[in-house]
Amino acid sequence: MTIEVNGGRRGLTDPEIAAVIMAAVPDKPLETQRKMNYFMKPRGKRINEYEVLCCYSQPTPDWIPGGLDWGDWTQKFHGGRPSWSNESTEMRSSDWLAHRDPAFRWHALYVKDKAEEWRYTDRFLKAYSADGHVRSIDPVWRDEVLGDYLGAFGFYEYGLFNSHSSVVRDCLGDTLRMSSAMIGLDKVDNAQMIQAERTFLSKLVPGFPESTDIPKQEWTKGTIFKGARELVQDIWQATYDWNEILFSGHMICDPIFGQFVRREFFMRLSSYYGDNLTPFFINQMQLYFSQTKGITTDMFHTCLGADVEFGDYNNRLMRAWANKWLPRTVNALKDFMAIYATIPEIKGVSDKAAIEAALVRVFADWKRDFADPINYKVDTAALVKTVLSGLK
Amino acid sequence: MAISTATKAATDALAANPAPVSVGAQEVHRWMQSFTWDFDKNRTKYSTKYKMANDTKEQFKLIAKEYARMESVKDERQFGSLQDVLTRVDAANRVHPKWNESMKVISNFLEVGEYNAIAATGMLWDSATAPEQKNGYLGQVLDEIRHTNQCAYINYYFAKQGQDAAGHNDARRTRAIGPLWKGMKRVFSDGFISGDAVECSINLQLVGEACFTNPLIVAVTEWASANGDEMTPTVFLSIETDELRHMANGYQTVVSIANDEAASKYLNTDLNNAFWTQQKYFTPVLGMMFEYGSHFKVEPWVKTWNRWVYEDWGGIWIGRLGKYGVESPRSLRDAKKDAYWAHHDLFLIAYALWPTGFFRLSLPTQEEAEWYEANYPGWYDMYGKVYDEWRARGCEDPSSGFLPIQWFIENNHPIYIDRVSQVPFCPSYCKGESTLRVLEFNGKKHSFSDQWGERMWLSEPERYECQNIFEQYEGRELSDVIAEGFGVRSDGKTLISQPHTNKDGKLWTLDDIKRINCVFSDPLKAL
Ligand SMILES: [Fe+2]
Ligand SMILES: [Fe+2]
Repeated sequence: MTIEVNGGRRGLTDPEIAAVIMAAVPDKPLETQRKMNYFMKPRGKRINEYEVLCCYSQPTPDWIPGGLDWGDWTQKFHGGRPSWSNESTEMRSSDWLAHRDPAFRWHALYVKDKAEEWRYTDRFLKAYSADGHVRSIDPVWRDEVLGDYLGAFGFYEYGLFNSHSSVVRDCLGDTLRMSSAMIGLDKVDNAQMIQAERTFLSKLVPGFPESTDIPKQEWTKGTIFKGARELVQDIWQATYDWNEILFSGHMICDPIFGQFVRREFFMRLSSYYGDNLTPFFINQMQLYFSQTKGITTDMFHTCLGADVEFGDYNNRLMRAWANKWLPRTVNALKDFMAIYATIPEIKGVSDKAAIEAALVRVFADWKRDFADPINYKVDTAALVKTVLSGLK
Repeated sequence: MAISTATKAATDALAANPAPVSVGAQEVHRWMQSFTWDFDKNRTKYSTKYKMANDTKEQFKLIAKEYARMESVKDERQFGSLQDVLTRVDAANRVHPKWNESMKVISNFLEVGEYNAIAATGMLWDSATAPEQKNGYLGQVLDEIRHTNQCAYINYYFAKQGQDAAGHNDARRTRAIGPLWKGMKRVFSDGFISGDAVECSINLQLVGEACFTNPLIVAVTEWASANGDEMTPTVFLSIETDELRHMANGYQTVVSIANDEAASKYLNTDLNNAFWTQQKYFTPVLGMMFEYGSHFKVEPWVKTWNRWVYEDWGGIWIGRLGKYGVESPRSLRDAKKDAYWAHHDLFLIAYALWPTGFFRLSLPTQEEAEWYEANYPGWYDMYGKVYDEWRARGCEDPSSGFLPIQWFIENNHPIYIDRVSQVPFCPSYCKGESTLRVLEFNGKKHSFSDQWGERMWLSEPERYECQNIFEQYEGRELSDVIAEGFGVRSDGKTLISQPHTNKDGKLWTLDDIKRINCVFSDPLKAL
C-alpha cells in the first residue's frame, strides 16, 4: 500500500494500515522499567501520580539546586538577567523541587474539587432562595455588614490573590509553581464568592446594592480596613522576594488577620444575626485556607525549615520576616476592631470578652502552627492586648 | 431604601415569586473590572517598554469556579477515553514504532513549552493592569498547568502501556543530552519568560500559540492517528480547546498597547524577532518529527506550513491585527524558503548524532525515499544517497563500528550551532538557507546561521551567551557523555537511543559506542 494516507484514515481501525503497523511492532516490549520518573525520590513510599505528572517538568540547570539540566539560559532578560536564578530569593534550599502539595493535587484533581463546589453552590443557593431563608437576616447585619464590610473584605482577598503573580513567574520549582497558582486562584475565588453572595442578596432583597462602589470606598478610604489595605498592598507590590511574598501572605497575614475576619467575625457571628448564607461561602474559604496552609507549611516548614544544609539559616530568616510582618498584621487587626461599633451588641457573642476570646483562639492557633515550628518567640497575650486597644 | 422596608420587600418578593434563584458566572464577572484599586506602589515587577491600558476587557468572562467546572468536564471525557476503551483495546501497542518514538520527543518538548507558559502568563498577569485582562492571563496560567500535566500523561501512558517505555519514562532526565534540547529551550522556555513582558507575550501567544500551535497540536493529531496513535489526539485536541482563549489573550495584549506610542516604534520589530525565533526551530523540527518520525504520511510538511503559517497566520491572523499597525513579519519570506529544505537538513544532522537522543530514529525506507523524491524533487541526490551510503556502511548495526557523524568528519563538513537559536547546521552540506557567520566578542567566537538571529545578537549579545553542546562536551568521549546523562536503559548498558526501529535489529550498547572512540570537538576552535 502507499504510505501517504489521507482522508482521515486511522491506523487503529483501518485494517490495511493496522496490518502494516502490527507487523512492525516488537513482539515483546523493549523496556521493562515502565514507571515514569522512576529515578526520582518520592515523598511517600511510592511515586504517586501527582509526582509523575508534575515533578521535574521544570527544565532548570543543576546550579539551581534540584535541577537536572545543565548550562546557561538560552535567552535572558534585556541586560542579561537570567530566566530563573538563585538570587530571586533570600531563602536557600538544597532542592527547590522538593515541595509537595500534601493533597497531591495535580490540575485535574484540583479543578474536579472546585467544580463540585461550584455545582453544590448553585444547588444550595436555589434551595436557600426558595426556602425564604433570607427573611431572617438581621437588617443591620445584612445591609451594613454584608453590604459594605464583607464587600470590602473582598478587596483583601483580591489583593492577596494578585500577590501570587510574580511568585508564579519567579519561583524556582515546578511543584512550587503549580501550588502557588492554585492557592492564588483560591484567593480570587474568595473575592468572587463574596461578590456572588452580594449579587445573590441583591436578587432576593430589593434595594440591596450589588455594586462594588460602597465596599471599595470602605476599603480605600475607610478606617476599619486601613491597616489591612496597607499590608496587602505591600505584600502584593512592594515585595520582590517570592518566598517573602508567600511567607508574609500565608504564614503571617492570612492566618492571623484573614482567619480572624473570616472565622471569628463573619462565620461565628453571622448565625447570631440570622444569617446562614455567609457561613456557606466562608466555609468554602476556610476549606481553601486549610488546603493552602498544608501547602505553605510544606514549603516553609517541611522543606525550607528542615533543609539539611540550610534549615537553620532559613528558620532565622523566617523569624526576621516574622519580625517585619507581624506588627503590621497586628495593626491591621487593631484597625478592624472598629467594626464592632457598627453592629448591635449581643451579650456573650460580640461583647469585649467574646472578642478577646476569639483573638486568643486565633493567636494561639497561629503560635502553635506557625510560630513554634520556626522557634519564633511571641507573647500572644501582649498581641491580643494591642489589638483590643482598637475597640471603640 | 430604609432597612426595614428592604426586609418587607424581600418578604413580599418571595411571596410573589418563590422560584429558586442562583448566581451565574457572568453576573459575578461583570464586577471584576472594579476589583482593583489605585495605590502608589501599584506597578508591575516586570518592565515593559509598552503601556498596557487600564480598561482592557476580556471576552470569555470566566470566574474561578466556572473555569474549574468547564475544565473538569473536559478532563472526565479525556481521561475516561484513555483509561477505559483505549486501554482495553491495547491501543498503545497498536501504534507504529516510529511514531511511538516521536511521541517521546513531541510530548515531552511540548510539556516544556506548556510548563514555561505557566511562568510566562504569571508574568503577564503581573504586567496587566486591567483586572479582566489579568483574569484572562490567570485562566491561562491554570490551563498551562493542565497542559503540562496532560503532556506528561501521554509519556506516562506510553511508558506504562506501550511497546518501548525507555525515553517515555525518563525524558525529563535524558532530554538534555542531545542537540535538539537547547534550541527547544530557546523557543519554548526562555523565549516565553525572559524579556520585556509584551515581547514575551508576542513570542508565546501571538506567534507560539497563534502560529505554531495549529501545526503542532492539530496536525500532530492527524499524523498520530494515521500511525495508529489515538492517545495523542484524545489529549492534544482537549488541550487545543483551551488555546482559543490563549490566542485571544495574545490579541488582547496587542489591543491593550495599540494606543501606546511605543507600539508604533517597536511592535513590528518585536513581532519580527519573535516570529523568526519561533520559526527557526519549529519549521525544521516539526517537519522532521512528522515526516521522518512516522511511517504513514499525511501530507508534505511544506504544504502544511504554507497553509497554516504563511496563509492563515501571516495572512489572515496578522491581517486582523492590521488595524493596530501590525504588519506581516519581514522575515516571513526567508522562513518560507526554509520550510522546504530545513527539516531535511536537520534530520541529516539529528540522525548523525543519534546516540545523544532519548528516542530511536530510523533511516528512510525505500518507499519513503520515493515519497520524499516525489514531494521534494532533488531529495535523493542530496540526502537519499547519503543515507544509502550510511546504511551500506552498517550504521544500524552495533558491530559495524560506524557512526554517521564520522561521515561528516571524513568529508570535512563541520556542524556548527547557531548561538541565538541553538539549532545545529552544516553550512557546507545543506539545501536550506543556512550560511555560516562567525563573530568574536569578549574573546569568544560565536557562529550564526542567518541574518535575523545575527542581528538580534549584535544588538544585545548579553542575552544570548549560552554555551552549546560542542563547547560543553569538548574533549569528552561520546559514551561517557551518554552515561553521565543517563542515556541507558534499565539493564544499565543498552542505549535508550537507537539508529533503527526494526523489531529484529540488534540494539547498541555503551560499549559499542566506546569502541568507536568518538570525541567531541568544538568546530569554532578550528576556525
Ligand atoms: Fe498550553
Ligand atoms: Fe497555551
